[in-house]
Amino acid sequence: MIAFENLEVRYTATATPALKGLTLSLERGIVGLLGPNGAGKSTLLKALLGLLIPSRGSGTVLGVPLGAAGSSKLRSRIGYMPEYDALIEDASAYEQVAFWGELSGLAPEAARDRAHEVLYFVGLDESRYRPVSGYSTGMRQRVKLAQALVHSPELIFLDEPTNGLDPDGRRRMLDLVLRVHAELGTGVILASHLLGDVERVADQLVILDQGQIKAAGSMAGLRKALAKRVELRFLDPLDGAKEAALSDLGTMLEARNGLYDLELTEADPAGIFRWAQLQGATLVQVTPRHDRLDEVLLRALHPDAVQGSGLRPTPPEPPRLDQAKPAPDDAIRGSGLRPTPPELLRPDQAKPAPDVPSTTDSSALREC
Amino acid sequence: MPIYAPTLPPAPDLHQGHPPALVLMRFDFTRLWRQKIGRFFGFAFLMMLLWKVARIYVDHLLQTNQAFRPMQDFAKTVLTQGADFQADLLNPASYLLWFLVALVGGGLVARDTLYRVRPLMYAHPVAPKDYLLAKLGFASALPFTILLPFALLPWLMSLLLAGTSGPVWVTVPLRLLPAMAVSSVLMGSLAVGASSMAATPRAGIGWVLGLVLGTGTLATMIHGLTGIRAIDGLNPVMLAEAWPQLFVGVEHPMVAWLPAVLGTAFHIGIWTFVAARRTRPSEVVI
Repeated sequence: MIAFENLEVRYTATATPALKGLTLSLERGIVGLLGPNGAGKSTLLKALLGLLIPSRGSGTVLGVPLGAAGSSKLRSRIGYMPEYDALIEDASAYEQVAFWGELSGLAPEAARDRAHEVLYFVGLDESRYRPVSGYSTGMRQRVKLAQALVHSPELIFLDEPTNGLDPDGRRRMLDLVLRVHAELGTGVILASHLLGDVERVADQLVILDQGQIKAAGSMAGLRKALAKRVELRFLDPLDGAKEAALSDLGTMLEARNGLYDLELTEADPAGIFRWAQLQGATLVQVTPRHDRLDEVLLRALHPDAVQGSGLRPTPPEPPRLDQAKPAPDDAIRGSGLRPTPPELLRPDQAKPAPDVPSTTDSSALREC
Repeated sequence: MPIYAPTLPPAPDLHQGHPPALVLMRFDFTRLWRQKIGRFFGFAFLMMLLWKVARIYVDHLLQTNQAFRPMQDFAKTVLTQGADFQADLLNPASYLLWFLVALVGGGLVARDTLYRVRPLMYAHPVAPKDYLLAKLGFASALPFTILLPFALLPWLMSLLLAGTSGPVWVTVPLRLLPAMAVSSVLMGSLAVGASSMAATPRAGIGWVLGLVLGTGTLATMIHGLTGIRAIDGLNPVMLAEAWPQLFVGVEHPMVAWLPAVLGTAFHIGIWTFVAARRTRPSEVVI
């Protein structure tokens, strides 16, 4: 779906490149693009849309080289939902969705019909003739999604689609994102700083900071790795020998106040009980650690700032992705992510959508 | 509680639609129609047009009806005749047109800036040149369309009433249409350039009026200080007034052919350049 190598994008006004030598390959699916403000997410989207010409490196989106003369045609195959309110306030949702459809290449009549269909799909059937100036935030977000979908794109970029939504609206929007991929087979790039959103819908994850990819991998791998993490508490404090013996179970990430944070070698909780029986230690608490995606992000972004946060300190220099060699194991241990995206995001590791043709077929990849 | 469609059928074929510039122009027209500012201007322009047409008819009566013969000499002294009359078909309308262009054109680009719609346009298959062409095209087509009946209706009426000997020259469309085109492009480029510098439509109106009146005042001041008459070629209002006169062969008191050509080229060039710079994709923030 998307591949780029050593991609560098530089704004003329600044000396520092906004994207610094990114190398990545993404298969069709829902890709979560995580990173703090200024990480380069929007710049990456701009470059992928062909609005910014890379100063170095190369890449392809849906098989079209970045910065090529055909990028205008490429954009008719891509839908884009911006973060901000890019709505024409004095027009109704129907008028503007039809307008965006026409701009994407639909005939006027077809665009009008299509506007009805797509507004119904996003749940704006009854309000479509009202000017959007009177819409709630949730409705406005759905209009933006509708305009991104009106021309049936092969790939959509969603920039913070749940911004400003209440929990219910957020759930509905994420349900729509899942439907877009599952029912329409559309590839989705979801840029967000909300980890919960990405965790809920994405099947691949890219963490970006300061113009560099800090980590990338499949969510399945991440979830599997996270499922191996447990917190153990014993009735009596463990002595030194028993603490050392904990390494039989896996890697101890932190020991604090009688609480042991472990990453198990095998995702088999029964082994913990066998170990406790063998060692004569009485377990009083075994807590699976499934909800620590935020720690993954923190570890990837701020390796130095995780002391005392329940995370294992990481080396001061995070591994560079463009060096294409495996990072030290402890760099992002427990995250399921490795900073070698091309290897990790092999087609056979990506989770294809049920109704999407498998991307393991190299001819299909070329066709994309 | 929203009701969602069970599914979304595939979209019809792309690449069947109109060119992006045409789609943008059509949408701008829909916006203008919705704003309803045409009521005042429509009335004003209609009154002017009726006055022009009425004059043709009165002139016809004076020529053909003996009862009005005594008034003929008086009419010749009050009403413009000959080449001046041909040029005057457009001039009064073009003054009011500047205000319409400021009101409509001032918001053309600024409204997209305010709503942050332009970056989204460029995320579609819309090139910056399409956008610029659409805005310039709309801002120029608007005054041209309004001026069109002023050139054609009196000419047609004159032909119907008096044939080739009527008060309006038979060749008037050939002279006035190019003049209208140049004036309209001048108005359009100035409006779009000014609007591209504004953050809101109201500010855009201010920018257009400021540039029109400001450059005019500046040109008049320099003319007054230096005595160089050609400087008046920088005055956009005077240029729009001069073009019909130059095309029908009336010597404009302030602007001759060369200053008119240079001044118009300067304005069209600089404001198109400004608009192109201000609307290019690198200026947008996604």
